[in-house]
Amino acid sequence: MKVYVLKRIAQGLVAIVGALLIVFVAQRLSGDPVALMLPMDAGEEDFAAMRSALGLDKPLPLPFGIFLGNALQGDFGQSYQWNAPAMQLILERLPATLELAMAGLVFALLLAVPLGVLSAVHRGGAIDRAGKIFAMLGQAVPGFWIGLLLILFIAVELQWLPAFGRGDLSHLLLPAIALGWYPVAAMTRTLRSSMLDILESDYIRMERAIGLPERAIVWRYALRNAMAPLATMIGVYFANMLGGAFVIEVVFAWPGVGRTVVEAVFARDFPVVQAGVVLSAVVFVAVNLLVDLSYGFIDPRIRHD
Amino acid sequence: MDSWGGGRLALPRAARRAMASVLMCVLAASPGHARDITIAFGAEPTQVDPTRSSAGVDLYYTDLFYEGLLTVNADLERVNWLAESWRVVERDGLPLIEITLREGVRFHNGETLTAEDVAFSFKRLTDPESRTAGRLRYVERVDVLDERRLEMVLTGPDGSLEPLNLLLLAIPKGYFEEVGDAGVQAHPIGTGPWRFISRKPRDELVVERFEDYWNPAAAPSPEINRLTIKIIPEDTTRVAAFKTGAVDWIDAVPPAQLAEFKAMEGVRVASLPTPNNLFIGLNAIDPASPFRFEKVRRAAAHAVDFDAIVQYILYGQGIRTAQLAPGSLGYDEALKPWPYDPDRARQLLAEAGFPAGVSVNCYNLTTPREAYIKEMGETVFAYLTEAGIRCRVVQLEYGAWINLARRFARPEMDGVLNTMWGQGLPGDPTDAWAGHVHSAGDGWGNYSYHSDPELDALIEELRTTMAQGRRVELIRHIARLKHERVAGGLPSYRPMITLAWRDTLDFSPWPGAFWRSMRGMGRPGP
Repeated sequence: MKVYVLKRIAQGLVAIVGALLIVFVAQRLSGDPVALMLPMDAGEEDFAAMRSALGLDKPLPLPFGIFLGNALQGDFGQSYQWNAPAMQLILERLPATLELAMAGLVFALLLAVPLGVLSAVHRGGAIDRAGKIFAMLGQAVPGFWIGLLLILFIAVELQWLPAFGRGDLSHLLLPAIALGWYPVAAMTRTLRSSMLDILESDYIRMERAIGLPERAIVWRYALRNAMAPLATMIGVYFANMLGGAFVIEVVFAWPGVGRTVVEAVFARDFPVVQAGVVLSAVVFVAVNLLVDLSYGFIDPRIRHD
Repeated sequence: MDSWGGGRLALPRAARRAMASVLMCVLAASPGHARDITIAFGAEPTQVDPTRSSAGVDLYYTDLFYEGLLTVNADLERVNWLAESWRVVERDGLPLIEITLREGVRFHNGETLTAEDVAFSFKRLTDPESRTAGRLRYVERVDVLDERRLEMVLTGPDGSLEPLNLLLLAIPKGYFEEVGDAGVQAHPIGTGPWRFISRKPRDELVVERFEDYWNPAAAPSPEINRLTIKIIPEDTTRVAAFKTGAVDWIDAVPPAQLAEFKAMEGVRVASLPTPNNLFIGLNAIDPASPFRFEKVRRAAAHAVDFDAIVQYILYGQGIRTAQLAPGSLGYDEALKPWPYDPDRARQLLAEAGFPAGVSVNCYNLTTPREAYIKEMGETVFAYLTEAGIRCRVVQLEYGAWINLARRFARPEMDGVLNTMWGQGLPGDPTDAWAGHVHSAGDGWGNYSYHSDPELDALIEELRTTMAQGRRVELIRHIARLKHERVAGGLPSYRPMITLAWRDTLDFSPWPGAFWRSMRGMGRPGP
C-alpha cells in the first residue's frame, strides 16, 4: 500500500511538472504580455526594459528552470496586472471555488443517485425515460445558458434567489445548479448500468430468496457495490468543476479561481496563470489519488497490497 | 418567496416599488439617515494607485480617491481644481507653468495638501516602476517654491499642456513613502470625495463619503453615506441584479436593452458620449497596399454605411463622426462624413486602377472593449467586400489586437484594422493624431500607417502651439485635410454609454472615469 501511494505521488509530480511545462511554453507562444502592460506610446527601449525586468528576454529553458525552482518553494512571482503575489491571488479565491464546486457536486449527486437507482429498478419504465431526458438536458445545454435561464426565471421573474455574488446559501444555489447539472447525465447512466449488473448478480438473488425487503436490497446492498465506478467519476468531475467553473463564475459574478485565471490568460498575466494551473493540477492529482485509495473502502476486493 | 412575501398574499410588483419609493424618500428626507447605496460596474480595475496604472479602466477606482490640478466638470468644461490658479511664463527661452494650489485641501488621513505632494506625484509618475511615464515627457522637472506654489518646467512649448500635464494627480507623499506600493494598494488615500473602506478583488469595493472634502458643491450628497460597488462583468447578470433590486445603479446597459430600460417604471437612464473615437485604420504606406492610393481610401469611405451601423448594430448608441465628435477642441460642424455610395466606391476603385477590386487582410477585435465592436467590424468588412475591397477577415482577441496597433508591431498591420483612439472628454486630438496620422507615429494611441509631409508639419506645429485660438485653427485645418485625403484611417463614430438608476436615487453624471465618477451620487441630475 505504502509503495503504491508513493508511486502514485511520484506520477502525480511528473504530471504537475508536465502541465507546467506545457502552460509555460504555450503562454509564451501566445504573445507578449508587455504589450498589454505598457501604454500605446511606449518606445522600443521601454519594451526592452520591461521585458528584462520580468525576465522575458532570456531563452526559454533558463526562465523555466528559474520558475520551476521558485515554484517548488511556492513562489510564482508577482502578478503583472495586480502587482501582488500570484499564488496569494489564487489562494484568496480558492475557498469560493471550492465552495461552488462542492455545492455543484452535491447537487449532481442528489439528482444522479436517485435517478440512477430508480432508472435501474424501473428499467424501461416512465421514471427511466424521464430521468434520461432530464439528465440529457443538462449535458446538451451549456452551463452558462442554464445559468442565464436560472437568473432570468428564478432571480428576475420569481425573485426567489439572488442573481449574483457570493454570500449566504441563497447565493450558492443557482450557480451550484448551473455547474452541477452537466455531470448528472453521465453519473446517472454510470450508476444505472452498474446497478443493473449488481441487481442481477447471485448475491442479490440470494438476498431476495431469503426474503430481505426489496428497498433494503436496492438501497443498502446493491447501491454500495454499484458506487465504485461512480466514485471515479466523482473525483474526475469534482476536479473538472474546480478547473472549469470559470464560465459559471463569470455568469454569476462569483469571485473564484476560474474567473481569475481566465482573465489572466487574456491579460497574459503569466504568473497568475501558472499559479492557477499548478493549483488545479495538484488538486486534480490529489483528488484522483484519494479516489483510487477510496476503492479499497468501497469494495474490499480491491486492495493495493 | 422573496423578502416582500410570496404566494397568494404577495403584493403586485408595482405596489412594492411604490412602497419602496415612499420608504426611500422618507429615509432620505429624515435627518441623520444617510443611505448606503449598492451599485455595479461591468469591469474591474486592477490598480488603485494612479501612478502605477496603465489601463483606462483603473480610473473607475482612482477617480473616486484622487484628484488632479485641473478637471473636467459636469458641463464638460476644463476647470481649475486642486490648482487655484496657473499661468504659463517663459524663462531662459523655455516655458514653465506656475501653479498655486488651493488652500485647505485635505487628504483622507487628515494631512493638508502641499506642493511637495504634487511634486512627489510627478516623481513617482516618471520613475521606472511607472507605466505611464511617457505621458509627461515634455516636463523636465517640477520645482517646489513653497507650501502652495510650484513650477513645472517644460522642455519646450507643449500643446498638450492642459489635457495632459495639468491633470497631474495629488498623492500624499508622506503616506506613500511610509506604506510603500503594497500599502497603497491595500488602502489608497487621496483628496477625492470618497474615502476607501475595503476591497474584495473580483467582488466589491466599499467607499464612504469623505466628510472633510474641500468642495462640497462637487461632492456626493450628505444623504449618501456608503457606496458599495459590485463587480458584475456579465451583461445579463448585471441587468438582472438591477431588475431584482440588488443594485440601484449600473453602468454599460447593453444597447439592445436600452428601449426596455427606458420603458421601465421608476428607472432613469442617461446615454452619454464616451471619450473613445472609433476608426478604421488603413495601411497607406506599404508599397504593396492598395490604400497607398487616395482613391482607394476614398472608395473605402464611400463603401461603408456607418449611419446604418449606428442605427441597427448599435441601437443608436453612437455619435457619427466625420473627424472629431461634437465638444472636442476644434470640432467643425461643417465637416460632414463621406456619404454611403457603393457605386461611387466601385468607380473610384476602377479609376485607381483596380477595376476588379482588391483583396486585403482585415483585422477585427473580438473582445468587447466597446459594445458590439466585433459585430460592427464584421459589418464594415462586409460593406467593403460588397464594394470591391474584399476582406480576408482575421479575428483577434485583445492582446493580439493591441499588439498589431502598436509601433514595432510584428507582424505589421498590412491592411485594414478595426480600431480606436481616446483622449478623454471633451477631447483633444493632438497627441492621438501625432500617433496615428503623423508619419513618425510617436504620439498617443495607434501607430501611424500614413505619410503626408503637409499633415506632418501641421501636426508638429499643433503639438508645440500653446495659444488656444491658433490650436483651434490648426485642428480644423488638419481635420479638413485629413478628411479629404482619408489620411490616418476612416473615422466612424464615438460610442455612447448608458447608465441606469432607480428614481428613488438622485444621480447627476460627471464625466470623470468615463462617467463612472460618483461625485453626483445623491445630487439631482439634469
